[in-house]
Amino acid sequence: MNGHPTREEDFDLYALGALEGDEKLAIESHVVSCADCARKLAEAEGRIALLAFATPRVEPEPAVKQLLMEQVRAAAESAAPEREPESERTTGSKWRNAVLIPVGAALAIATLLLWNENRRLDQQLAALHASMQQQQKQLQDAREVAGLITASDTITVALAPQAGMPKGAARVMYNAKMGMLMYDGEIEPAPSGKNYQLWLVPASGSPINAGVFTAVSGQPNHWMMKLPQGIEPKTFAVTLEPAGGMPQPTGPKVLVGGVS
Amino acid sequence: MNPEIGPEVRASDAALIERLVRRDEAALAALYDRYAGMLLSVLIRILRDTQAAEEILQDIFFQLWRTASQFDASRGSLPGWLAVIARNRAISRLRRHNPAAGEELAERAVTSPLNFESAMAQQQLLGRVKGALESLPKEQRAAIELAYFEGLTHSEIARRTGDPLGTVKTRLRTAVETLKRTLQPSAAST
Repeated sequence: MNGHPTREEDFDLYALGALEGDEKLAIESHVVSCADCARKLAEAEGRIALLAFATPRVEPEPAVKQLLMEQVRAAAESAAPEREPESERTTGSKWRNAVLIPVGAALAIATLLLWNENRRLDQQLAALHASMQQQQKQLQDAREVAGLITASDTITVALAPQAGMPKGAARVMYNAKMGMLMYDGEIEPAPSGKNYQLWLVPASGSPINAGVFTAVSGQPNHWMMKLPQGIEPKTFAVTLEPAGGMPQPTGPKVLVGGVS
Repeated sequence: MNPEIGPEVRASDAALIERLVRRDEAALAALYDRYAGMLLSVLIRILRDTQAAEEILQDIFFQLWRTASQFDASRGSLPGWLAVIARNRAISRLRRHNPAAGEELAERAVTSPLNFESAMAQQQLLGRVKGALESLPKEQRAAIELAYFEGLTHSEIARRTGDPLGTVKTRLRTAVETLKRTLQPSAAST
């Protein structure tokens, strides 16, 4: 297609990511050379972006903002060029100027080169700092996994499929003292508009949400989750719930495992 | 608790972006307070993983800090721009595809006539968008959600739902037409 899209909704469908193949390429190649259609596409992107507001706000943990601001400060500090010392004004003779001006110019060029080099190194340092923070987080995750697996009071519960439900199997490792849970499992994809949800059913009290997830055929699900500490479980169960999960289980049990 | 506390609350996005370009950390904090909740909700909805969602959230705002000068506030909608980036990042991660960080920041143009800079405006918008989605027939809403929150294309939705491709295309086209009509600014006052 070299002309304008025949239907206005094509821009919305493109922004939604629904188009593929030739239909997608046609829009992409056309908007490069058509300012009017590029504007329509930007408007469609704005409309589709409103769908982000279809889910209620979830305020992040304060630590996320704190980490962000620390990352920003670290980057800003490492990128700030050092102040050059104020040059002293000289009132010397012509021969002094003849020597000092070229030397000064050379020094200025050298300073500029060094500043550029410094800036490049600082950018690398900021990238390394960000990478280090990510690695520290991964290391912390690995430590938590190791702690959970090696703790003598960690229990392992196998979750078995229920009759007439999607096929699958899963395993939960849980440590009540640490309040740490790890899920490993594979299950057939949920029907349209539904998600799976894992529950810790305590010996007394209401079930506790331990994760809402989407299953993809042939791809195992795996996650760790912090739960309130000290809860003794009676059962772990995966239920089928409306998309996005529910505060308490409402759907049928798909996988169940009792704590022996 | 309202996270928007302080003198930046009333500043416009454009004014905060200008201050961001001048390396004003308070402006970044204000934009974070304004939009992090909205972005985190969509990230969690897509990823079903709060930790991964928070990692992406932090990364998006750090990238905004580094590349604020690329954003032309007079021509684009910052929350729309951030929402597009958040969704793309989350879906890439969901599909285990990892594009070079930052490539999309400069490329996507997103405009919106709607203003959602205040928490109250965001709350009203949430109601409108939820209402618009809920007014769609069940199959159309499911198709829109599969495309937006799971990043599925026409044929992937058809495979997932078992419906004919033509049916899926018609549903999505009708759904976006309806949403466009319902969400346009003139419909806000009706």
